[in-house]
Amino acid sequence: MKSPNPATSVLKQDEQKPPNNPQQSVKMDKHKIIYNKKAESEFFVDNSALAGFTGERILYMAVRELIENALDSCELFSILPSIKISLKTFDQSNDLWILDCEDNGTGISSDKLPVAVCSFLTSAKYMEKQQRGLFGVGLKMVAAFSTKDTDFPIKVWSKSMEEAGEYYFELRTDIGTNKPIVLLKKQVNKSESHIDGPSGFRIRVVLRARLVPITKNKIYDYVTQTSIVNPYAFITFETDDGMFSFDRRTSIMPTPAKEILPHPSDMDLQTLKKAISKHSGQKITLPKILCYSFQKLSYEKAKEIISNADLDFDLKDTKISFSEHDLIKIVNICKKTKFQNPNTDHLSPIGQGILTIGMMSEYTIVSNKNIETSSDNNKRDAMMVNEAKKLNHDKEDKNVSKTEASNIGVSKPNFSVRVLQPVLTAYTSRTGIINNRPTIIETGLAYGGDINSFKLFRFANKIPLLYDEGSDVAREVVSEVEINKLGITKKQAKEQFSTNKESKRDRVIEVLPIHIFFHICSTKIPYKTAGKESIASEGELKSYMKSCLSELYRKLSTQIRKELKLKEAENKMKLYKHYLPFIVSAITDSLGIKNSNLDDSFSTLIEKHLTKKSIGVGDDDNVVNNSEPPHSDFVPESSLYLSNKTVDLEKKKLTVSKNYEDIGDKSIKNTKLDKALSNSSSNSDASLIVSYKSKEKERRHKNDKKIKKSKKN
Amino acid sequence: MSSEKKNEVILIIKKIMKKISEDVIIQKQMPILDLPKIGYDNTVWSNEKRMLTIGDKKIEVSPDSVKKIPTFAQYLVMANAVKKLLDEDMESTIRGMYYATLSNVGDEKNKQKFWNNQDNSDDAIKAVELLTGIPREEFSVTSKPKGMISGPIKLRVGGDIIDCNLGSRSTSQLIPTNIGDVQIEDVKADFVMVVEKDTVLSNIRKSGFIQKYNAILMTGSGEPDRATRIMVKKLNESWNKPVVVFADADPWGLGIALRYKIGSESLSYDSDRLVTPNAQVLGMMFSDIYEYNIPEVARLTATDEDINRANDMKKKPWLQDKKWQKELNLFLNKKEKCELDAFFKHGFKYLAETYLPQKLRQIGLI
Repeated sequence: MKSPNPATSVLKQDEQKPPNNPQQSVKMDKHKIIYNKKAESEFFVDNSALAGFTGERILYMAVRELIENALDSCELFSILPSIKISLKTFDQSNDLWILDCEDNGTGISSDKLPVAVCSFLTSAKYMEKQQRGLFGVGLKMVAAFSTKDTDFPIKVWSKSMEEAGEYYFELRTDIGTNKPIVLLKKQVNKSESHIDGPSGFRIRVVLRARLVPITKNKIYDYVTQTSIVNPYAFITFETDDGMFSFDRRTSIMPTPAKEILPHPSDMDLQTLKKAISKHSGQKITLPKILCYSFQKLSYEKAKEIISNADLDFDLKDTKISFSEHDLIKIVNICKKTKFQNPNTDHLSPIGQGILTIGMMSEYTIVSNKNIETSSDNNKRDAMMVNEAKKLNHDKEDKNVSKTEASNIGVSKPNFSVRVLQPVLTAYTSRTGIINNRPTIIETGLAYGGDINSFKLFRFANKIPLLYDEGSDVAREVVSEVEINKLGITKKQAKEQFSTNKESKRDRVIEVLPIHIFFHICSTKIPYKTAGKESIASEGELKSYMKSCLSELYRKLSTQIRKELKLKEAENKMKLYKHYLPFIVSAITDSLGIKNSNLDDSFSTLIEKHLTKKSIGVGDDDNVVNNSEPPHSDFVPESSLYLSNKTVDLEKKKLTVSKNYEDIGDKSIKNTKLDKALSNSSSNSDASLIVSYKSKEKERRHKNDKKIKKSKKN
Repeated sequence: MSSEKKNEVILIIKKIMKKISEDVIIQKQMPILDLPKIGYDNTVWSNEKRMLTIGDKKIEVSPDSVKKIPTFAQYLVMANAVKKLLDEDMESTIRGMYYATLSNVGDEKNKQKFWNNQDNSDDAIKAVELLTGIPREEFSVTSKPKGMISGPIKLRVGGDIIDCNLGSRSTSQLIPTNIGDVQIEDVKADFVMVVEKDTVLSNIRKSGFIQKYNAILMTGSGEPDRATRIMVKKLNESWNKPVVVFADADPWGLGIALRYKIGSESLSYDSDRLVTPNAQVLGMMFSDIYEYNIPEVARLTATDEDINRANDMKKKPWLQDKKWQKELNLFLNKKEKCELDAFFKHGFKYLAETYLPQKLRQIGLI
């Protein structure tokens, strides 16, 4: 591609200065082709799609870049991240938005800051380790877009760990030269400080963009999913819809990635030359250089490789300059030699503990419309009750328990934060070599509870992938792993879980209330497109992912079967309750009396009876192994849930006996109600009590869980 | 139906309901409906009565399990429906009761039907009979009439007299199913002949058999309904008329003939009212196929089901005498069966004018 004779041309290019000054080549000759040098900033602004900044996605990408930088900056020194991000309309008529992001990370020292913010391809992250950002483009892109589209300065506050005091900058990017323009730089007084903690970074930019609903949802999804895989981060996100806060659920952070040496099987001419030039001043032999510069390469092995390469110079000579012709021989040998698998110190997987915490409390931003569909069951029950008051009452209760996270005033009521708690979670991971780089695949699965539908979550290096799900390898993996590994048949899944029996979705897994998480860590993720939104099925990646998912299914199968049984019983129980009105009305009808407490007594009696029974049955169902070590295959939370259930049953027993005593009292209270209802020969009266009771129980159950949870944390 | 009987039924139903509600409210215990088990495993052959009777197995229906609550609800709903029917002084068929109580149970997500099909509601009606101890005819729940009668007999139904002898050469009367309202006014015949199917009955009637032998012809059109069985019994036991039964020469037909003589498993609780132990099953015998030279083309090959049934029948206490054992062995041997209609192969009058008189002569009835 470059030249037919690579050995020489590469060398030349290295020695040569960049091509001629544009001014010189501008000659009025028609046939002369004009070569221009473009500043990096100009190039990236012109080709913004390369960095994902296209039309509608500008705000999404900007939010994303700022959050990723903030998290990277915190994780570098294991600071528990606290991120405040805000995206608000600034000038609606001109589509101007104010984006503000503050973190408590390391900050950037005042002398480097303008370059770090404005100059493309300037980064502290050029090294072989897993980070969210890699290229030194994202933040600069935000700055360049702000400069390009508006006349507002980029405001930055930074309190670096390296220096005392907080600095305030007003910056713009000189897009033509890739250099920052510093409009203002000053040290901030303590009284005017924008950063509370010992260090931190805050940026405020004005951007011009349209925010279509799809993109808005993607931004919300992005923040939501970020919070799932970073449960150790406290994130607040303020938008025109209100303030959403994502609590920190754990103070454990993943071990930060370490920079590592490249693996010899990944060696090429460039890396080898870099290694040699690094040691050029020192008196070291070539084998030593090799074993210092690459991992998994002992001195002996290095000598062996060099002797295999059949080079015609003295190995002990330390001053020799190597020709590319010689070096490529070494590279060739390395490609053929077998080495130990690369180590994975440079990767920072989320880990079982942290991902499990994330899965056990999925913070999600939902619109109220969504809440209603998800609480469909309750709604329907309430409809049966046919009493508006009760409906409201229940709903309120629900909101209180679910949206406890959104403790900060929500300015518009149509969006809120909801915490989803599944009943079961599982985690598994694999390590392998993909794309010549060690890759860790983590998978998680959350089932049931507040989760009421299927969803696939994809992450690469802790970054949520939101677009192009259809073409992602994860999608294929989910379709290809058979559901029967879960221990249930397609038919059962459809019968017990499908809310819409007519739906013709062929992927049965999608009727289950299950969230599947894939996280791929690598320094070279096999993205399918430049947009970095979907992952290609590279090498053995797919088979690793499949085996992970199969394992998860297997892990959950016992539990899911139990759940299925519970679900069946629950469905039956629901029917059971529907028969009661028939019985009650048959009796009252034929006796020609309006017996006010027959239905009440009957439901009490039956409930008591069934409780007795289900405790009997439940005993073997709830074999809870509490002594399970926290890092066993089964996540402790799942056993927590089950043990909760037992507690709940006990509670049930208590309430029943309580009701038992209260009957006399209750019958008086209910007489009025009954009179009203029994007039219509409809049978709703009994179901009213039953459904009300069951709801009460449900609530109590929820609360129990909450309490347990908070204690645990 | 007398208002006395009606009130009795209503009273019993109310009593049952009251008991349940007292159990629940005062005793705070699970109400239980006690009823005899119906079916094969609770049917006992009584040598003394020469009929199938119900055993002493009981079932308890109580809303104490997810499985049983629908049944419990069904029984009560049906009982209440019966009471309503009587309150309104109406009559209904069992299908009518099915429709009257039809409904859905559950919400959108868990919907099911109160009755899966009419069999369920028929069972519930039976349960009400058992709970009240009163046959359903007496609480005005009837089935569609299908039994037929023809010959010198007068029935009083309500205030009307039905003379079954009128035009008896060319038509038959349906036997009313509201048997509680039917009285036999007068019988002039010498004996009663029951045949399995109405097609055969028409043929015999047309031939002038009734007039020639002074007989009453009856059929249940296949499985006889209760009204037909009760009528046969009344004619035999209250009017002392000998009863002979003719059915097809196959295990199925024999089974139908035996319904009249010994009763059935599903109605064994009501045998005392339905069964005519003195009825004589005269034909069509398996041996008749060969004795009367039914041509091979008119014979049918026995199915596996027939064979199993015959093997089963061979063990029954009521078929232990030599004659029946011989017949069944013959069938199991030859594996051939035959319908009464096959006699038409010998000519349309052969059945009525040759076969039946010969058979009746054998037992000295004519």
